Amino acid sequence: MADLDLIDIEKHFGTNWVIRKLNLQIAHGEFVVLLGPSGCGKTTTLRAIAGLEEIHSGEIRIDGKRVESLPASERDIAFVFQLYSLYPHMTAFENIAFPLRALRISDKEVREKVRTVAKVLRIEHLLNKRPSALAGGDMQRVTIGRALVRRAKAILMDEPIGALDAKLREEMRVELRRLHIENNSTTVYVTHDQVEAMSMADRIAIMNEGVLQQVGSPTEVYSWPANLFVAQFVGSPIMNVVNCRLEAADGATKVRFDGMQTPFQFGGEVFRRAAAVGHEEIALGVRPEAVLVELAERPGYVPGEIHIIEPQGAYDILDIRIGKTVVRARTRSRFVTQLNQPVWVQLDKTRTHFFDKQSGLALPGE
Amino acid sequence: MANLILKNLCKSFGDVVAVRNLSLDIRDREFFVLLGPTGAGKTTTLRCIAGLEKPETGEIRIGENLVNDWSAANRDVALVFQQYSLYPNYTVRKNLEFPLKSRLRRLPAKEIGPRVQKAAETLRIAHLLDRRTDRLSGGEMQRVAIGRAIVREPRLFLMDEPLSNVDAKLRELLRSELRGLQLKLGATLVFVTHDQVEAMTMGDRIGVLCEGELIQVGTPYEVYNSPHNTFVASFVGAPAINLFDATVDGEKIVVVPEKFEFALEPATRARLNQVAGRRNIVRVGVRPEHVNLVAQDGLAGTLYGAEDHGVEMILTISVADHLIRATSPATTRIPVNAPVQLAFAQDKLHFFDLETTKNLAVA
Repeated sequence: MADLDLIDIEKHFGTNWVIRKLNLQIAHGEFVVLLGPSGCGKTTTLRAIAGLEEIHSGEIRIDGKRVESLPASERDIAFVFQLYSLYPHMTAFENIAFPLRALRISDKEVREKVRTVAKVLRIEHLLNKRPSALAGGDMQRVTIGRALVRRAKAILMDEPIGALDAKLREEMRVELRRLHIENNSTTVYVTHDQVEAMSMADRIAIMNEGVLQQVGSPTEVYSWPANLFVAQFVGSPIMNVVNCRLEAADGATKVRFDGMQTPFQFGGEVFRRAAAVGHEEIALGVRPEAVLVELAERPGYVPGEIHIIEPQGAYDILDIRIGKTVVRARTRSRFVTQLNQPVWVQLDKTRTHFFDKQSGLALPGE
Repeated sequence: MANLILKNLCKSFGDVVAVRNLSLDIRDREFFVLLGPTGAGKTTTLRCIAGLEKPETGEIRIGENLVNDWSAANRDVALVFQQYSLYPNYTVRKNLEFPLKSRLRRLPAKEIGPRVQKAAETLRIAHLLDRRTDRLSGGEMQRVAIGRAIVREPRLFLMDEPLSNVDAKLRELLRSELRGLQLKLGATLVFVTHDQVEAMTMGDRIGVLCEGELIQVGTPYEVYNSPHNTFVASFVGAPAINLFDATVDGEKIVVVPEKFEFALEPATRARLNQVAGRRNIVRVGVRPEHVNLVAQDGLAGTLYGAEDHGVEMILTISVADHLIRATSPATTRIPVNAPVQLAFAQDKLHFFDLETTKNLAVA
């Protein structure tokens, strides 16, 4: 297994930039997820690491050695695609064994290696079956087995479970993470699904329009998003982002949404941080679980009205109208049951973010 | 708007039964969701209501009328599909006007303008009226498609997975937007989806379908908390409910085949005795939020996996070769492979029949 180093990588098609000045260091044994919407450059980055895509400038280092000019076959990297790409005429065993056949090792050794991988993937009982006889999840396990069996320097995966149904995806997430822990293989995983990224990654690298937005642990990108894009791309239900007006008053900051009578009270530092940036346009960001809801009036809470109730089973999401704005809050199931019911709302100050609307960046000093 | 009654609806395609003796009573102004996996018969049911399929037997009533023999056009229902099916070369305005100019309706010209304007304002696309639809974003196109249904002021809205082509973030916004719209219009709406989150968050009631059969009709709360069988229990809710088979041994539950056991609280024992009858083996269901980590006297296991979802952690715990899923606060920090102990919130345990898969408390 190996370290991967991406230094100032750039790629463009004509004037169309696919990757811009991308810098990312992936440590030996780390599971890094490249996350972003379609067209953000994540797959191109992955393919560049694999050697399936040329870059226009920058360096790619595997264990310190530059590989940009090496063909894919000489980089010793395994690749798993979304489509299973198995040989239909071979059994699962033969498919997994295939990369070993080129290595001139004994049949006995091949059998042992395949069995070890199959055991980890829980497909020992399927080894004699052909791909056409396998279910989707099992086919993907075989594909992953083929990538694992030869112990490449790194494993790259491009939306490997995107085509599976919701329940199977839930299981595969756990299995893939588990597999990573057992094999300790350097893994780069591409997805547009923030749930996959959050649940499997050691670190998430979030991309948008070819530009790396933030790199951090799931907790970091969730709790301290660097900008509005990350704030709203990570987390479901998505973070509330509301335009607001700030007003300094007696060492405190009054925060008002559009059409709001009573303001939220924040500490004086909020106003100072906003003033330091010098922009008037500030957006407040707060996740639904940091919107606190009470049925009776309380000091520090502002009045709101229930617009919609969205039950999720284990909890409810309430769309609450405050002034002309709708804010979503997470509450226990059936905390509120009536539409248009008045409620009182407060924001958890330690989990409320402020962004400069012009740059999209979180205000410094959080 | 109108109510909708389906009575003993049957529809097959060759040897394949798509809809099996389906009866359903949808109220006026209700947001009703037909939920099920691919091939469950939900789209066929919707198409029968719309008049695009003819059922072999059964009755379809919209309001006071038995409409089985009415053409699709005469039923006065508006259908919104997954594909937006807009006219790409036309402006938004023309797309919205189109249904009002059809031969059947042919509204006087002076009524068309205001109706289009009103629908556009409701959907917040009034500023796009003169734009061509091929210049719109996915969310805008979907709004126009819905707008085209609204302008007609039909008796019934039918929607077939209208949100499945848009990305996750937009889907979330459109969900609450559509629900808000339906409440505002007081519309009767039948909505087909395979996405349980859509069903839970939007429906007044959900009808869960599997292999052509309507398994349960209930509010989101009922469907989630009292699933009629194991299919509904596992189809609704994410992360999925834990299910394991267990023998009932006097005062405790023994989970098979890889054994682990736990004592039943008196109230749970009484509840199980009441429903289990002479069964000595049942399938136990428990949702991840009802599996709690405890410091002592719990079931011993090891942490198999931990997923950080930001708002909470989803833990997978291995207990005697069974994998049990639990949710826990976001601050939980336990290393993988560490020993843990868990306990079930026993008042939340479900018991199902092994053969029929039915919930014993419901059957």
